[in-house]
Amino acid sequence: MKYHKIEKTNYHLHVIETDKFKTVFVRVNFKRKLVKEEIVFRNMLVNVLFESTAKYPTKRLMEIQTEELYELGYRGSNYASGKYSIMGLDAIFLNPKYTEKGMLEESFAFLGEILFHPNVDKDGFAQEGYNIARHSLEDYLDSLKENPDSYAHMRLLEEMEPNTVLSYRGCGYPEDLKKVTRKKLYQYYQKVLKEDAVDIFVIGDVKAKEVEKLIEKYYPFTTRNYQSDSHFYQALKVHENVLFRKEEADLKQSKLLIGCQIKKATDFELRYVLNVLNYILGGSPNSKLFQNVREKNSLCYSISSSSQPLVSILTIKAGINAWEYDRACALILEQLEDIKNGKFEDKEIENAIITYKNSLKSYEDNPESMISLYAGVEYLQADTMENRIKKIEKVDRESVIALAAKIKLDTIFFLEGKEEYGKESFETF
Amino acid sequence: MEKNHLKHFDLDLYQETLPNGLLVNIIPKPGNNVYATFVTKYGSFDNVFVPQGKKKSYEAPMGVAHFLEHKVFEQKDGEDPFAFYTKNGADANASTSYLRTCYLFSGPEHVEENIEYLLDFVQNPYFTDENVEKEKGIIEQEIKMYDDIPYWKLYEKNLFNTFLKHPLRYPIAGTVESISKITKEDLYTCYDTFYHPSNMFLTVVGNVNPDTVMDCVRKNQAKKNYEKRGPIIRKEVEEPDRVFKKQEEIVGDVEIPKLSVAYKINAQDMDKNRLRNYLSFFFDLRFGSTSLLRERLKRENAITGGFSIDIMEAGKHILCMVSVDSKKPEYVLEEMNKEISDKTITALEVERKKKTLKSACIYQSDSVYSICDHVNSNLLHYGSIFLDEYSWIDSFCLEEAEEMISKITFEHQSSVILKRK
Repeated sequence: MKYHKIEKTNYHLHVIETDKFKTVFVRVNFKRKLVKEEIVFRNMLVNVLFESTAKYPTKRLMEIQTEELYELGYRGSNYASGKYSIMGLDAIFLNPKYTEKGMLEESFAFLGEILFHPNVDKDGFAQEGYNIARHSLEDYLDSLKENPDSYAHMRLLEEMEPNTVLSYRGCGYPEDLKKVTRKKLYQYYQKVLKEDAVDIFVIGDVKAKEVEKLIEKYYPFTTRNYQSDSHFYQALKVHENVLFRKEEADLKQSKLLIGCQIKKATDFELRYVLNVLNYILGGSPNSKLFQNVREKNSLCYSISSSSQPLVSILTIKAGINAWEYDRACALILEQLEDIKNGKFEDKEIENAIITYKNSLKSYEDNPESMISLYAGVEYLQADTMENRIKKIEKVDRESVIALAAKIKLDTIFFLEGKEEYGKESFETF
Repeated sequence: MEKNHLKHFDLDLYQETLPNGLLVNIIPKPGNNVYATFVTKYGSFDNVFVPQGKKKSYEAPMGVAHFLEHKVFEQKDGEDPFAFYTKNGADANASTSYLRTCYLFSGPEHVEENIEYLLDFVQNPYFTDENVEKEKGIIEQEIKMYDDIPYWKLYEKNLFNTFLKHPLRYPIAGTVESISKITKEDLYTCYDTFYHPSNMFLTVVGNVNPDTVMDCVRKNQAKKNYEKRGPIIRKEVEEPDRVFKKQEEIVGDVEIPKLSVAYKINAQDMDKNRLRNYLSFFFDLRFGSTSLLRERLKRENAITGGFSIDIMEAGKHILCMVSVDSKKPEYVLEEMNKEISDKTITALEVERKKKTLKSACIYQSDSVYSICDHVNSNLLHYGSIFLDEYSWIDSFCLEEAEEMISKITFEHQSSVILKRK
C-alpha cells in the first residue's frame, strides 16, 4: 500500500495505491465552515446533482449509464465534522482489469459529468430535476419522527445546546428551504466550486500519475484551498443543574437518551482515552450498560453509549418501557458513576485496546474505511495508523478515571411512548 | 478435503462433510479479517415438525427459532460468549431469518480458537426456567422496537394478509403474547431437532490456512458424540393461491402514507430458482431505478424515494413485494397494476441485467462478509455452492424469461396502505 499526496493549487489529491481491491473508490470532498442556513442548500445540491446531468437529463438515463459502466455506484452525502460541513461525492467502480479497457477513464468521466456538467437552463438548475430533489427533501424534513431513534438523538442535542454546531439538524430546516430557488441554488453551486476546500481521495489498483491526469482532464476545479482551523468544538454552555425534558409520541417503546458534556479534555483524552472509556461503558455487548441494564435486569433490548470527540460529548441511549424510566435511569447513571469511581477491571481496558487495534486492522480490508482514515489525517490531524496503535497502548486505568471526572451529566431526554400494547395490529392472531 | 475454484469470486473453496454430517466450507481470502458463520437450517418457517425421537408432530409457539437464537448464548459454566470474543478482539453476533439461524464472529486474531469456541458454545447451550423467563423482557423490547418502525408494521401486515396458513404470515420474532408462553422444554425440543450437525454448516472466509482450520474443526467435532440421524420431518402446510385479505388500510403516525403490495405467485410446476431470478429482472424493469413508471410518478410527485422490491419463496409460492412512500397511494397502486400487466421484456434489458449480476459478483468478492453471505445463501436456496456463477448467469435468456413470465398471473395480490389517523 502506497500513499501519495499531490498538492495542486485548486485541490489536494490523495491516492492510495493498493492491489488489495478489485474496485476503485473515488471521493471528492468539499469543505467549508458549518452555517445553519446553508445546510439545506448543501443537501439540495447533492440531490439535484445526482438527479440529472446535461448529458443524462433524467435519473433513469443516469441509472442506465451506471449499469453500462458495470454497476458503477454513486452517491453524495453531507455531514458535520465539528465546526465544518463536508459534502462528499463518491463513485465506486470495478477495476478495468475485471471489465474492459477504457473503463477507468469512462468512470472518472461519469463523476466529472455529475460535478461539472449539471442539467441547467437560464433560470438555474433544470426545473424537473430540481422539483424532484426538492420534494424529496421536503418529505424527509416532514417525516423525521418516523425514525424514533434518530429523532430522539436529534432532540437530545437540541436540548443540550440549541442553535450551535453541536445540535444543527443534518437535514436542515424547513424555514431555510423556503429561501431556496433554482437560481439561488445554482449560485450556491458556483460559490461552492469557487470557495470550498477540495480534497479528492482515490483508492485502488491505480497509479497516482494516471489518476492525476484523469482528474486534470475531467475535473476542471477553480477552487482555492484555504487554511482550515481546528474542527473541534466545545459547547459554550452547560446545564449546571441537569436538564430533564420529556416529549410524548405514538410509540410502544420509549426512548431514554442521556447527554453528557466533556469539559476541558486534552487532545489525547479526546482521541484515545474517550474511546476506551466509551467501550467499557456501553460500546459492546460485554459493556457495563449491556450487562447490567439488559442482561441482569431485562429492562431493554438495545442499549449503548457513543462518544463524539469532535464536539466533546458522550451520549447514552436505551429503548425501554415508559413505566420503567426511573429504574433504567438510575441503573444507567450508576454505571457511569462506577467508572468515575474506578469500579471496572483492568481486563476491560485491555479488551478495549485489543478491539481498537483489531478494528484498525479491519479498516485495511475496506476501501471506504481507508479513505476515512486518511481524511481524518488531513482534516483532524489524526495520527497515522501506526501511531494510533502505539498511542492507544498508553491508555490506562488512571487516565480513564481522570477523563471520567471531566464528564458531566447535562441533559436527560425522554421520548415517552403512549401507545398501549396490543390495541391494534395483530388482534387477529 | 475437496478443493474447487470459485470462478466468479476468483477464490478457492475447500469443503468437507465430517462424519457427523457437518458441512465445512473454507474460502481463504487475502487481507486481515476473518468472518465465520455457523448456520442451522432452521428458521421461523420450521414451526411444525416431528421432534427427534418422537412420532407425533409438534407445533412450536411463534417466535421459538428467534428465542432460541438468544438463549444459545447461555452457557452452563456461566461464561458469556460475548466476553470470550471481546477478550479476543472479535465481534460476535447472531440472527434469525425465515430459513436459518446464524451465529457468527469476525476478527483478525486467534482464528482457530474463535472458530472452536463458536462450535462449542452453539453446541452446548444451557436453558433453565429462570434464564428463559429473564429473556422475555429483552425480546419484548426487541419486538416493540420493530413495531415502532412504520415500514416494519406495514410489511408484517402485508404478509399477514397475503397468507392463510404458511408461517411467512407471522413475524420471525413472534409477538409479545406468543413468546410469553415459551418454555425451556420448547427450546430443547427445537434445539435437539435442528441443531444436529447434519442440519448445519460452518463457513469461514478470510485470512486463514484451510488445512489448519479444517483440522481444528475435525478434531473439535470428533470429541463430541452425535448419533446418526435421518432427515428431519417438517410438516408442509397446504396454502391456497388466494390471499387472506385483498386490501386494507391501517393507521400510524406517518406524515407520508406508505403502500405495500404483495403479488402471490403459484410456481408449483416451474423451476422456482429460475423463475425467482426472472421475476427479479421483471420487477426491477417495471419498478426499479431504470423504470419508466418510477420516472413518471416522481415527476408527478406521486411517490417519494423509489420502490423497494423484495422477492421471497414460501412453499410452492413465490412472493413479490413492492413498497413505496406515496401521497397518492390508491392512484399509485392502480398504475402499478397497469404497468405489471405488460409482460414485455427486451433482449437488451436481459443482457443489461446479466451484466449487472456479474459485476455484483466481483464487488462481493472484495468483502469477507458478502462472500460468506453469498455462499450461505447458495446453500440455503440451491443446496450447494455455485462453482461458476457466471455460467449460471449466462444461462438466462429472453426466450425463457418470456415463456416463464407469460405463464404466471398477478391476480392474487394483497395491498396495505399505512396512513395517519
